[in-house]
Amino acid sequence: MTAAPVVFVIDDDASVRSSLKLLIGTIGLRVETFAAPDDFLRKQPLDSPSCLILDVRLPRLNGLDFQRELAMRKIRVPIIFITGYGDIPMSVRAMKDGAVEFLTKPFRDQDLLDAVHAAIERDRARREQEQEVKGIQDRFENLSSREREVTYLVVEGLLNKQIADQLGTAENTVKVHRSRAMTKMQANSVADLVKMVQKLKDTPK
Amino acid sequence: MSDEMAAAGELEPRVAQRTAQLARANEDLQREIASRKRAEEDLRSSEERHRVIVEAASDAIVAMDDSGIILFANPATTSLFGYDSAEMVGKPLTMLMPEPMRELHDDGFRRYLATGIRHINWHGTELTAISRDGQEFPVEVSFGELSADGHRLFTGFIRDIRQRKQAEQLEAAAQLQGAVHADVTLAFGLEGSLETILHECAESMVRRLDAAFARIWILNWDAQLLELRASAGLYTHLDGAHARIPMGTLKIGAIAKEKTPVLCNDLLNDPRISDKAWAEKEGMAGFAGYPLLIGARTLGVLAMFSRKPITTQTIEVLASIADLIAQGIERKRAEDELRATERRLKEMETELARVVRVTSMGELAASIAHEVNQPLTAVVNNGNACLRLLANRKLEPDTLRLALEEIVADGTRATSILSKIRALITKQAAEKTSLDVNEVIQEVLALAGREIQAHEVLLNHQLEARLPLVLGDRIQLQQVVLNLIMNGIEAMTTLADRPRSILVKSQLIPSNWIQVAVCDSGTGFSCEPEHLFSPFYTTKEHGMGMGLSISRSLIESHGGRLQAVPLSPHGAEFSFTLPVAPEAGL
Repeated sequence: MTAAPVVFVIDDDASVRSSLKLLIGTIGLRVETFAAPDDFLRKQPLDSPSCLILDVRLPRLNGLDFQRELAMRKIRVPIIFITGYGDIPMSVRAMKDGAVEFLTKPFRDQDLLDAVHAAIERDRARREQEQEVKGIQDRFENLSSREREVTYLVVEGLLNKQIADQLGTAENTVKVHRSRAMTKMQANSVADLVKMVQKLKDTPK
Repeated sequence: MSDEMAAAGELEPRVAQRTAQLARANEDLQREIASRKRAEEDLRSSEERHRVIVEAASDAIVAMDDSGIILFANPATTSLFGYDSAEMVGKPLTMLMPEPMRELHDDGFRRYLATGIRHINWHGTELTAISRDGQEFPVEVSFGELSADGHRLFTGFIRDIRQRKQAEQLEAAAQLQGAVHADVTLAFGLEGSLETILHECAESMVRRLDAAFARIWILNWDAQLLELRASAGLYTHLDGAHARIPMGTLKIGAIAKEKTPVLCNDLLNDPRISDKAWAEKEGMAGFAGYPLLIGARTLGVLAMFSRKPITTQTIEVLASIADLIAQGIERKRAEDELRATERRLKEMETELARVVRVTSMGELAASIAHEVNQPLTAVVNNGNACLRLLANRKLEPDTLRLALEEIVADGTRATSILSKIRALITKQAAEKTSLDVNEVIQEVLALAGREIQAHEVLLNHQLEARLPLVLGDRIQLQQVVLNLIMNGIEAMTTLADRPRSILVKSQLIPSNWIQVAVCDSGTGFSCEPEHLFSPFYTTKEHGMGMGLSISRSLIESHGGRLQAVPLSPHGAEFSFTLPVAPEAGL
């Protein structure tokens, strides 16, 4: 999370690559350029927030197809497409498949730099979210089975007494489990705990 | 008395004896007479029988003596030769022979009488006879000889074989005709050129019809010249004096023009034969020439010279093979034409593939856009980067130099790409010829036929007849028309509620312009018509937006205009004008 963001560029044209490197460098971002998708794939996985500037027209491979290949490989890097020509259906497809932007060459520098910022932000947010869910998961796995049972019932909105009845145990015991679970999960409130469990449920295992 | 008595007594037995002798003699005589009578009767009845046979015989039977004088002639002789029996008896047998044979017969007959050597076969020899009215006819003659009372008698049996001969001739003619027909049919089955085929036909005439030489001329309709295409026999060359004969000149040209055969068995006296010295020197006796006709159309002439008079039989064969050869030539031409059309169609399809590639500009235009955009993008990026650095006071001289070097290099690169494209376009604008616009349209329709059918499009055309010519590049105009038609087809692919139809029109409009329009019943367009012609404007999913833009520049390079009009209630009309070619407009 602390690693500096990187902008990747895949374009078969050396001039375009080098000019993009200079342009994006002016906003203080690290730029790595590749002439072909395979070179880029060899760089993965990468820990820092990043985005990919991808030429639609690549030798041997269409940029749109490469976008799908990345999705299949679960490489979730945000993509900014740049293209020598583009039609509406092509850009619709790219955006539907999750592209951040679709720019026609030559583009306004501000449009590209805005898109780069947005993409990196999106990636950073995604990474943070993933990080957070991972933390919750880790902490949840530290709970004992009785603490997890109590946590689920708390999240469902049951009172301590009701939980005790349901589990066939004393209300005081429930209180102890509940307080331990809250501490282990680093939840400041019941509402906090509910949110965490919800996030766990939302995340596909 | 006793002596008398004795004598009387003696006499009686003698008389009796004598009487008995006489009676026996008489009996013998009677027997003899009876026998003779019987023999006589036998003879008479035998003669009678022979007479009946001879008189009833259908063959002529003539008897003559050893001086060749007719002694007897049966009725069949009369009916065959037309002479009464009285007119023949006492005359020489040679009266029944044509003049040239008489001496031959006399000589042969004399030699036979002297030496016993026969100058002809006596049992069935075919000779020519002559009747009272001077008509010659074929007969088969047999002779028999017998000697009586020291005289030698001869009998001739003469059979009329006209019918048999005629039947034989008919059969021979049929066989000959069959053989020549087979040769000609076989020749036309050959894979070779028309020359090869015709040469085989001429060879067959030489081989089977006894032609000294045979030739075939084919009419070159445009030049009205008969061109010698086959020659067999004495002459086999195809050049020389008779290689190209104008219609109507010489006998060959006359045959072709009059469409009637020329036959001649008296070359030296025929006014139609121009080179009599040659005919005499070469010993030519007969000429036959036939026009090769299909209906009333002359395709050529078939002719032969012969050193013998040309027989009726040969003439009949010639007449029938002239027909056969004419039909063969006609069929061969049709086949060749079909093959040429197929080849041309194939070439056009290949050309179409190229036209479609270039016109729709799919890959090529994408390439151009990409190629030009790359350096431009780099230039813009580098420029922007420097401006940003400059604004932040972070622009290092090294960075600036690097960026500027790249800008110069990319600018140069963009220029060279553009000049390459320009070169490509000027190279294509090569050939302008006088064209019939309708022909161009028809060619495109033929090419696009499959596409039109595949999209279930109804095609109509209203092409004004006899349009003046325009000066243009056939391929480029085809590209434009094809592009408009393909656009029309594509504008209708999604139509379900109304028929898909394309109408192609051509007409002469004031003043001296030819207008071609392609109308479709498709989705039409809602934007400004002019917008359609801007480069890279497209409404198609896979379009490049180059077709109309290129089409417009092609039409403008022809001095015309290309425009679009939306049609009501639906569809669009794209039309272009072309100026009438200067010389055609006069």
